[in-house]
Amino acid sequence: MNFITWFGVLTLDDNGILSKCDLFQKDRDELAIQLVNTEVVNANKPPSGFDFRSAAVECGFLESKEEYDALLRDVSIRAAKYQISLSGTTDMRIIQAVEALDDIDGVVNTLSERLAEWYGIYFPELGLTGDLLACFVSEYGSRSNIPPENGLYENAATSMGAELTGADEKLIKAFALNICNLYETRSKIETYLAEIMTSTGPNLASVAGTLLGARLISLAGGFERLAYFPSSTVQVIGANRALFKHLRARAPSPKHGIIYNHPLIKNAPWWQRGKIARAVAAKISLASRIDLYSGKLDESLEVELARKIEVIRLANPNAPKKSKKTIGVKSISKKIRRHG
Amino acid sequence: MRVAKMSSGIFTIIRGETKQLATKNLVPSISVYGEKLVEFEGDEYRLWDAHRSKLGAMVLKKFEIPIAKDSRVLYLGAASGTTVSHVSDIIPEGIVYAVEFSTRTMRDLIQLCDKRPNIIPILADAEKPHLYAHIVETVDVIFQDVAQPNQAEIAALNAKQFLKKDGFLMLAIKARSIDTVVNPKKIFKEEIRKLERDFSVGFEVLKMHELTPYHEDHLGLVAKLHPRNQNNKI
Ligand SMILES: C[S@@+](CC[C@H](N)C(=O)[O-])C[C@H]1O[C@@H](n2cnc3c(N)ncnc32)[C@H](O)[C@@H]1O
Repeated sequence: MNFITWFGVLTLDDNGILSKCDLFQKDRDELAIQLVNTEVVNANKPPSGFDFRSAAVECGFLESKEEYDALLRDVSIRAAKYQISLSGTTDMRIIQAVEALDDIDGVVNTLSERLAEWYGIYFPELGLTGDLLACFVSEYGSRSNIPPENGLYENAATSMGAELTGADEKLIKAFALNICNLYETRSKIETYLAEIMTSTGPNLASVAGTLLGARLISLAGGFERLAYFPSSTVQVIGANRALFKHLRARAPSPKHGIIYNHPLIKNAPWWQRGKIARAVAAKISLASRIDLYSGKLDESLEVELARKIEVIRLANPNAPKKSKKTIGVKSISKKIRRHG
Repeated sequence: MRVAKMSSGIFTIIRGETKQLATKNLVPSISVYGEKLVEFEGDEYRLWDAHRSKLGAMVLKKFEIPIAKDSRVLYLGAASGTTVSHVSDIIPEGIVYAVEFSTRTMRDLIQLCDKRPNIIPILADAEKPHLYAHIVETVDVIFQDVAQPNQAEIAALNAKQFLKKDGFLMLAIKARSIDTVVNPKKIFKEEIRKLERDFSVGFEVLKMHELTPYHEDHLGLVAKLHPRNQNNKI
């Protein structure tokens, strides 16, 4: 049989006697890289009970058994440092990009509201918001610049808004251009995250979606930490205050983490959401672990998740009866939020 | 002041009424995580806080610690190395393979490994022992403290690949990482049943004890492979 060790590929004959050694180059950095890149599977795994030390000497890799610990230690430290340098950077890039996205969202909403009010003086019938408004204003400025082939031409011509000219027009166009650019940067970050997620976390990306996946990594503080969280924690990531209380006081666990933005949960009827969230969280946990340690896309994850959710749907077709009181309170608080 | 030996490499420092657990510092004058260093008759000891270490708590709970000065130990869930550093003290002629899967934590652990000659860091998931089967040899003791729902299975997988026939498994079971609602006693019972029967290697539990007051809802146990495994092991 053939199997791999940190110092080479070894062969045992039928009697279990060492018959061949294909040694790796005895260079500490080479050995470290080899250590990290080696994929040990059951087929090339050393038999349990195998004596590494004697074999290393017998193959002529080491002068003596005493050398074994010192060399392996040095190589392992190099390997671990190498692994950290690889993983740290991707995590950091994802986390920074997600946070930049959230920063832009915060700023751009405030600026867009300001622009809507400001430009409302000149063209109150426009009816655009967000990126459409910002890019529209930065391109045309005054209503009078809107060409006839543009669908808004009629509205512009009959508007009751004031005239926009001179310094006012210059200023509002510059302001709008900045907002339009921020939206563009935002979409570039989204594309970037989609790419980096599909290459480094393909399973997480397929189960959670690229943006939600990236947010989970960011909130968890990194890929390995996300993978290490039990799925009950994954379910509540992002529900910060509630989670903290839960951990400290063993209060009932909060249900609404950011995974509630997952379309499978968001679009489900309310009485199925808790169950679906649990299923999605479990798959996200599994997916991030697979990503961390194999990195290969396993398409069965998505299929299994879909099947599980079908089972939940079929088992819970109707809304359970709720006491009137809770329903009342819920709908009131919703209204308050919408108006507030 | 007086120093009493509790087990190979493990001591109690007795000063009047106070007794403190300690190990002999393998790397004199360096404190690893802020613990106090104490001189006695030419030797330097590092105080060992059982509240920060399940192995330390097991010593105080009168477990027989099956680690000798030349033992080879596989330590699963090394974290930043608080306990691993004491294991390293206990085995001046041995070696400890320290497995930890969080890169952030591994960064701290490596700093410890840089200073100590007998710790081999391994950044890997203990659930997948084949990932380090090309690095880790057969060991005398597996110590595991991973705080994972499938703790028993992780122990079995690793014992199967790495544990010597007559070696020992030392396990810290954290009830709350298995279930936050169920009574811990019930969880411990179930985990022991699993260790005895559920996997392709079975264990025989030699001693177990809850680790209160040092660690709430934790069980410590020492086990060895059940004789039923011994024939079909290579
Ligand atoms: C309770 S802490 C260990 C504390 C340590 N034994 C001490 O006393 O200093 C658990 C550690 O196990 C690690 N861990 C959890 N699951 C793991 C796994 N599957 N493989 C490797 N390490 C794991 C965690 O990252 C964490 O650092």
